Amino acid sequence: MTTVLNAEAPATGVTECSPEEWKLRVELAACYRVFAYLGWIEMIFNHITMRVPGPEHHFLINPFGLHYTEVTASNLVKIDLDGNIIGHSAYPVNPAGFVIHSAIHAAAPDALCIVHTHTTAGMAVACSKRGLVANNFYGSAVLDKIAYHDFEGPAVDDAEKPRLVRDLGNKRALILRNHGLLCHGKTIAEAFDLHYRLQRACEVQLATSNIDEGIMIPESIRERSRNIVLDAGRLKMDAPPPPSPQKLFDAMVRIVDRIDPSYKN
Amino acid sequence: MTTTLEKPGATPPGYSPEEWALRVELAACYHLFDYLGWIEMIFNHITIRVPGPEHHFLINPFGLHYSEVTPQNLVKIDLNGKIVGHSDYPVNPAGFVIHSALHANVPDALCIMHTHTTAGLAVASSKRGLVPTNFYSATLMSDIAYHDFEGPSVHDDEKARLVADLGDKHAMILRNHGLLVAGPTIPDTFELMFRLDRACEIQVATEQIDEGILISDEICKTAASRILNNKRPTPPGQAAVAGKTAQIFFTAMARQAEKKRLAAGLPPNGSF
Repeated sequence: MTTVLNAEAPATGVTECSPEEWKLRVELAACYRVFAYLGWIEMIFNHITMRVPGPEHHFLINPFGLHYTEVTASNLVKIDLDGNIIGHSAYPVNPAGFVIHSAIHAAAPDALCIVHTHTTAGMAVACSKRGLVANNFYGSAVLDKIAYHDFEGPAVDDAEKPRLVRDLGNKRALILRNHGLLCHGKTIAEAFDLHYRLQRACEVQLATSNIDEGIMIPESIRERSRNIVLDAGRLKMDAPPPPSPQKLFDAMVRIVDRIDPSYKN
Repeated sequence: MTTTLEKPGATPPGYSPEEWALRVELAACYHLFDYLGWIEMIFNHITIRVPGPEHHFLINPFGLHYSEVTPQNLVKIDLNGKIVGHSDYPVNPAGFVIHSALHANVPDALCIMHTHTTAGLAVASSKRGLVPTNFYSATLMSDIAYHDFEGPSVHDDEKARLVADLGDKHAMILRNHGLLVAGPTIPDTFELMFRLDRACEIQVATEQIDEGILISDEICKTAASRILNNKRPTPPGQAAVAGKTAQIFFTAMARQAEKKRLAAGLPPNGSF
């Protein structure tokens, strides 16, 4: 089945929007709907941001005051790295909310899409002394991609930005201690895919913790998991192709498209 | 979609426009609590003082589910729980003891919300109480009071202790019992309950792993000061959101609750 994401002409309300930007708006609006569908939402808070192609450092963010189920391609707000609105928007943005995103967008060249959530399982792991551990399928897979950042209060202060960037380093996921989860990727699908695996890691770790501390997966097995595709190549086995983030994301978009296609407006 | 809350309709006969608007807002709040699962069958209350020199309050009719509350069937009562005017429904006299104690004695407690959510009750029933191990509880540590359990609050002699225990705080953990928040408006009080209930949900989840990373007093103070007013300058070119977060938040969530109600075939809030 083909993807339902397509680059039709922009609806009214968005001026000076290139076909590339419109395609991205539709995909990002779909991503907000997928997050809502999966329950990765915190009322009207949190953000998924995406850099607009081009030399300007412009980003698309959710309008403040709308639920993720109300986000559409045309009501996404274009802002610069300081959170200033570019062009016209019927809605404000949450100025406090963009501090973390803008720090990382500005400093990590391949962080084109950033997702941040306050899910209960993600927060529970972020609040625990133990942090994420490799005692399940997902935790084992994402552990090496994770960095940690200590809590300094709600991030509204630019002074925190260098510490966020330093703590993230070259990782693609950041556990914001006492606070929540953050992932980035070159595409929306990449950031979504990593968040999916991190979120599941946290859900499963939380459930496991009700029983006991869990069976720790040794480094040797984790190393093998990382190299499974390479190994298959060397051994000329019929290894399945690595899971494609885009395939995963497109499948979830088809689900939300059936529920409510208004994200494309 | 626009709700009656966002675009008020006409006022039906028998109400002042102010009281009708408040009834629509309070009914929306009951519906939102239902939407969020912050409900305990037909029990618990959200109360708001009616503007004017009289100490009159609106409360849910006893015997109705929060989803069945409408602006019209909200009951107006005085501080003794006596119905003012006519009501087709009774009120739960036992339930109003806590609310009336605080409405009578705490000047800015115009709106009071009380819940029995499982996470809230778990923290309230624990020896440890609320601890600053998460984003939300960090913002609340300086605004939380505790009141020891004396059994269901039906006796007036508990009122003085409730008032003394709340002191100048806006959130109170009723030990062994549940959560209570007080504020000047329905949106402000809702926003406070959201942070308190989420703080409890996340604490309960965190403690499944370990006791959690304790956030320092200093960062808790910073967190409290930052959360309330969205303390970051609004960039030029957009409407200021500082100080309006609670209103924006409540309106948006009330719209979600209303959408679900309409999809279920229920009449729009405020229709008559």
